[in-house]
Amino acid sequence: MELINFIDITPTTAILLILVGFIGGMVSGFIGSGGAFVLTPAMMALGAPGIVAVASNICHKFPKALVGSVKRHKYGQVDVKLGLVLGLFAEAGVLLGKHVMTSIKHTFGAVGTDLYVSAVFIVTLAIVGGFVFKDYRKLKALDDAGEGEHIAPITRIARWVQSVNIPGTMIYSRGAQAEISVLFLVPIGFATGFLASAIAVGGFIGVPAMIYILGLPAIMASATELVIAFVMGLGGTLFYGLEGVVDIRLAMLILLGSLFGIQLGAIGTTYVKDYQVKFTMAVIMLTVLFSRFFYIPNYLVELGLMESLPKATGKMLKWAGDGVLALALVLGAYTVLHALFKGMREHKKQHASHTDSIGLGQ
Amino acid sequence: MAVSQTTWIKTLGWGVVTAGLYGFLFQYSEMFEHLAHTTLDSCLIHNDTDTAYHHKVTPEQCAAQNGSFIEGTWWYVFAPIAMALALSFTHGIFTGLFWDVVGLKAKK
Repeated sequence: MELINFIDITPTTAILLILVGFIGGMVSGFIGSGGAFVLTPAMMALGAPGIVAVASNICHKFPKALVGSVKRHKYGQVDVKLGLVLGLFAEAGVLLGKHVMTSIKHTFGAVGTDLYVSAVFIVTLAIVGGFVFKDYRKLKALDDAGEGEHIAPITRIARWVQSVNIPGTMIYSRGAQAEISVLFLVPIGFATGFLASAIAVGGFIGVPAMIYILGLPAIMASATELVIAFVMGLGGTLFYGLEGVVDIRLAMLILLGSLFGIQLGAIGTTYVKDYQVKFTMAVIMLTVLFSRFFYIPNYLVELGLMESLPKATGKMLKWAGDGVLALALVLGAYTVLHALFKGMREHKKQHASHTDSIGLGQ
Repeated sequence: MAVSQTTWIKTLGWGVVTAGLYGFLFQYSEMFEHLAHTTLDSCLIHNDTDTAYHHKVTPEQCAAQNGSFIEGTWWYVFAPIAMALALSFTHGIFTGLFWDVVGLKAKK
């Protein structure tokens, strides 16, 4: 017999979920990534088992991705064909990933899924957070040297990928403006879906892969990723829903806050430089990564893989983890809001002094 | 730039629709939980403090625990999908209008 509980939603829990959703949405709108890397751990900190947190997060994400992709399609930023093909292979990745997650649930219970989700988070956040931090330092150095907004040329790998011609497997990508073999899309799509089924974040693989391996411009990669997110999000919700683990209440409370936050975050990006966005992304990722370490000992004890800890130690570890996670959320919120209001104030000042100087103030 | 009355009315209208959908969701939250847990065969066990849905259980095992065996209905999975699509649509429109009304705009 298997038991996966949905958490009780008290008024306090509801307010926390809405707030977490708001901050997650702001971070998502600001850095262009799903924000799930704060949402999934936050739901787990509130008591949702890992599998329920991931499933509910996927359920809240996919309709937003649909709305977002339709909007950005109007600006010509979406490579629909590429998104659908990658989405199809991502679906296969989601199916396998969901199978791994549910096997862990059958064998080790809810706490097994907590440990699995945390482990995948640690590895992913370490790699991606480190990479983004490196990218921030490179962009800041270019900016300090006065080279302004640097548009990266297409990588050597992407140039090679676009030059490969395997008859019978080629499709034209509007984003890459080149024919690309589907054989390159299979592993990218599959890996994106597998990661999404584990932590509800697929964009960490999908977006960088589209930019650095397929040669899409960054703005098209992030827009096309919304198509992939919709396809695999809908599939993921169906697959996890059939396992009985999608908590629509969690998903919709997160959505309540995140739809407010996402627009605020997106507006904030217009007032900052690209390297500031990267810095925010790296700091939040590395803080969330750090928070995960505090939860691991308790999971190991519950699974019988480690000797019992004194009750007080176990409690302190959970508080430390919750505390560091809360710090990540506060940092994220502060950075975005500070950038937004400082930028708006300076913009108003500049606009006022320009108006005076050309005599329109009189 | 002053916000037009039409925008105010639209904002309030979509806000009311969204609030209505959230009200419906939480008024019937137990029903939604039930639909979520019973997309597959489950055993409903009541105890003093709460109700729990167990999975991977036969009708005999369920009866032995004084539970009620419920046969899974796979298409209940569309309940959260429909709710998520409806709320994303209405709440998405409401929040867009909300920030316009508040006056928060992107830097041109």
